[in-house]
Amino acid sequence: MTLLELQNLKKYFATQKAVDDISLQVDQGQIFGLLGPNGAGKTTLIRMITGIFYPDEGSIRFDGKTFDPIKDVEKIGYMPEERGLYKKMKIGDQAMYLAQLKGLKKADALARIKEWFIKFEMEGWWNKKVQDLSKGMGQKLQFVTTVLHNPKLIILDEPFSGLDPVNTNLIKDEIFNLAKKGATIIFSTHRMEQVEEICDHIALVNKGQVLLDGTVDKVKQDFKENLFKVGAKGMQSENGTAPYEVISEKEDTKIIKIKEGQTANHVLEYLIQQGAAIQSFNEILPSLNEIFIRLVEDTPTARQFQHV
Amino acid sequence: MNKIWIIIKREYLTRVRKKTFIISTLLFPLLYLGLIFGMGVIANKSRQDLKVAIIDHSGYFTAEKLNFENSIDDNSTLILVKNATDSIMNHYKEAGYDGYIEIPALHWQNGSDSLYFKSEKSYGGNATVAMQAKLNRIWTSIKNDSLQLDAQKQAILTKGLSVTARNIKDENINSGTAEGIAYVAGFLIYLILLIYGSQVMMGVMEEKTNRIAEVIVSSVKPFQMMLGKIVGIGMVALTQFLLWIAFVFIIYNVSKASGSDIASGMVGSIQNMFSSVNVPLVLFCFGFYFLAGFFFYASLYGAIGSAVDEDMREAQSLSFPITMLVIISIALMTATVSNPTGPIAFWASMIPFSSPIVMMARIPYGVPGTVPWWQLGLSMSLLVLGFIFTVWFAGKIYRTGILMYGKKPSWKEMIKWAFRKN
Repeated sequence: MTLLELQNLKKYFATQKAVDDISLQVDQGQIFGLLGPNGAGKTTLIRMITGIFYPDEGSIRFDGKTFDPIKDVEKIGYMPEERGLYKKMKIGDQAMYLAQLKGLKKADALARIKEWFIKFEMEGWWNKKVQDLSKGMGQKLQFVTTVLHNPKLIILDEPFSGLDPVNTNLIKDEIFNLAKKGATIIFSTHRMEQVEEICDHIALVNKGQVLLDGTVDKVKQDFKENLFKVGAKGMQSENGTAPYEVISEKEDTKIIKIKEGQTANHVLEYLIQQGAAIQSFNEILPSLNEIFIRLVEDTPTARQFQHV
Repeated sequence: MNKIWIIIKREYLTRVRKKTFIISTLLFPLLYLGLIFGMGVIANKSRQDLKVAIIDHSGYFTAEKLNFENSIDDNSTLILVKNATDSIMNHYKEAGYDGYIEIPALHWQNGSDSLYFKSEKSYGGNATVAMQAKLNRIWTSIKNDSLQLDAQKQAILTKGLSVTARNIKDENINSGTAEGIAYVAGFLIYLILLIYGSQVMMGVMEEKTNRIAEVIVSSVKPFQMMLGKIVGIGMVALTQFLLWIAFVFIIYNVSKASGSDIASGMVGSIQNMFSSVNVPLVLFCFGFYFLAGFFFYASLYGAIGSAVDEDMREAQSLSFPITMLVIISIALMTATVSNPTGPIAFWASMIPFSSPIVMMARIPYGVPGTVPWWQLGLSMSLLVLGFIFTVWFAGKIYRTGILMYGKKPSWKEMIKWAFRKN
């Protein structure tokens, strides 16, 4: 089921086309990776989804209806990249305040905060002030305040920045948990290894437009270069008849690129005919990082000012 | 609506619970009394005990007469020097004098002459006015004696006519009391606008530097966020005021009950104030101009807070024009108090930026005597329109500014933000 559907969204500022005709679809329960270099328009796109900005053109459908920025924000939890809390406010009061702004009743909010504080081992923090917390503790609190009202759509912008590996795992597990319970998560980051690990579906945005949109597997398949890693003893050195080219070699391990029109089976047949002793044979898929760099590299990362 | 209420509650409670609020509420009246009392003490301490040599060529000023005057007023000591006058004039310091006055050979029929208090230091009018009074009293008695005027004739001569302004529409108005109330009310509003206006600005800046602004605007509209802050802080100011009024009320009743001399004098003057001024109307107008003026200025201060980053200097340079408007209002108030029905008073009490302070300075002179009802109504409506405009204008700037980091905008750019669509 589609939870969020963006159709031809446009948002132009005085000096640039921040979002220039973006259409995307996010299904319920999906962990959706929104990728893009700095200044690609991700934040502007997210701000339109969270009702902070109105789009100049295009439409947003949320949960089967046209998006209503006043009402629907209560079903959205947003953790912006530029995030923070009131430094001098007590942690418990702060969580209560943010929960009430999301439309929760006092008693409800209190029960849920307690539940989350116990889960994250924060029970003893209630009367502490934010300025007394470490950065990692602050991040945990920020995450709790983002998801406290059980939002249908959770938008996390660089959620792991500043977290140590232990807390990163804690939050990561919670993200999986929430997705399993039916929440949809949009996850925006530059850290590609995290995207590969967490996301089902990704979209790459640059210069206000979608460059790439698909599942992680499909994207990788689309961008594969037919490279294989072969470990074999007695592989003959290349002559023109082989169905592959050797890209590099190191002792018994070679990286090969299969020629156009040939398949992995052809290669294996050829190697067996040659009497090579095959030890391993693996396809090398490009990492998202490589795809990202390849797609973005051609265009200057810092966007130029353009006339609208 | 409900969300604005949650924001107002937070803004109000976090401020009212702060120690600084409690301390400033208690301390301000004490400081105010201390200031008044302290000024008296300082004025007393700073008076100069000058020892002045009098060199008299006229023969009228005897040591006896001078001593009598010295005994009445010990602010300065005038001593007649008869011998070695030249050496005193050259060496008055060594002889222990602060300076000298040489009186020429006057004749009583001439009546007047200019004398000089000569010294190596510079003295202000305060120093010479006492000496002048002493010498003039002696001079007058000499003239009276020479003219052979007895006490009765002297009394007849010194009596004159006096002219006092009296408003025939409103016989009760005592212009002295009205002036006092005008100044106090004007200055209080001035203080509120500056102190609580900058609190709004700091509060908005805090949200920006803490990076909580975007978290909040994902739950509420920026306009609600701004309005909640302004109303919350306005309520804090109102609370402080009500507490002060309560203090005055308690002190008034306690001193009335104690029945001591000073207290009964104070009680009397307050009763006098109540009889000559329409206190409920003044209080109502004060509440109105205080809140409306606060909304007018606080929204502008809020807009500035949203536009700058954590840099205090940028905030100050952007808020300078706003602060100037408040200060100009005070200058206009002074002109108004001396002529509460003149054209400056009229226009300044109509234009929204100065009307909170200036109109408050006119009202104690009497409604409808000095301020006709139509003027009061027009001034109030214009101020309401004024603050609706500034709140709208500030809301537009706020919406853009609160999410902008890095570059400092100019007023020109901020106005552009306000008038562009979306």
